[in-house]
Amino acid sequence: MSECIVITSGKGGVGKTTTSANLSVSLAMMGHKVAVVDADIGLRNLDVILGLENRIVYDLVHVIEGECRLKQALIRDKRLENLFLLPAAQTRDKSAVNPEQMRKLVEQLKAEFDYVIIDCPAGIEQGFKNSIAGADKAIIVTTPEVSAIRDADRIIGLVEAAELPEPRLIINRFRQKMVDRGDMLNKDDILEILAIPLIGVVPDHEDIIVSANRGAPVAFDDTSVVGEAYRRIARRVSGEADVPFVALQPVGIWENVKRWMGLSAKAGVK
Amino acid sequence: MELINRVFGSRLGSKDDAKARLKLLLVHDQVDLSPAQLDSMKAEIIEVIGRYVEIDRDSVDFKLERSNGEIALVSNVPVRRVVARAV
Repeated sequence: MSECIVITSGKGGVGKTTTSANLSVSLAMMGHKVAVVDADIGLRNLDVILGLENRIVYDLVHVIEGECRLKQALIRDKRLENLFLLPAAQTRDKSAVNPEQMRKLVEQLKAEFDYVIIDCPAGIEQGFKNSIAGADKAIIVTTPEVSAIRDADRIIGLVEAAELPEPRLIINRFRQKMVDRGDMLNKDDILEILAIPLIGVVPDHEDIIVSANRGAPVAFDDTSVVGEAYRRIARRVSGEADVPFVALQPVGIWENVKRWMGLSAKAGVK
Repeated sequence: MELINRVFGSRLGSKDDAKARLKLLLVHDQVDLSPAQLDSMKAEIIEVIGRYVEIDRDSVDFKLERSNGEIALVSNVPVRRVVARAV
């Protein structure tokens, strides 16, 4: 049975695109057939995060307007043969698509894929409405900041009003050191406020920037603790129960030495 | 100075500020009542309670709170004495 999951947040810059890319990569690495859709028409970026920007010929708007077939627009990932990107149009805007068209597109994709992941644009307007139109489930991304949590709360209300069942939460850019000294909201504080189930905590880590520079999502890096956090989120998404959270302590000198020597940092991941 | 404050535990972490501000913010985002409307609701409720019991109007505590996504009107109204009324 296939499933469409929208990745949304309200606020911009909290990591929706990075989350969409890494969740899709991780699900594909588990053997699922995955399509990831960039719904941010006019400001496409998922192609760059996935390192597929040079291979775009057709995009989502071309498909919806009937200028090409869906299969022509889907870009196969160069590393995983069961991962496909449907890029956003860069020269159009959100009004080029309506929710009914998105619903039909998602139906078509679900016939071919196990998972359809939708990377939702920031905001609560047309782009958001398009993104949730065909979704079965929602994952809300937030960071431990007042503005991001406020917007997440608003989005949770809108997602629930759209009758998507039980949205789940990813806390991104988590810094254990700041939590330890009382300068960052911890997991329980955020869950108390937002009151939805947690599906992952992703530490704030340089690996994210390095992987974005290279166009190779960090989930491909099996020595990265952030990559491991995303892979575990994918396991939870695919229904595996009791997947433990990664240890969030900052990486110490010894772990760095081990990484330089090419040993897996997984040993330090509890 | 900050270090000394921290060592002696007199400085709360900024996360407590964040949490307190968020809780208030989310209630007001959701309720969509202006402070003036809230004040007038408070005045009316106190007025109604005052018809039945004598209350200490200056120490009435009245606020909207949210926990687990549900909003509650939490109020503490000290009663001085029950007014005997013929109904």
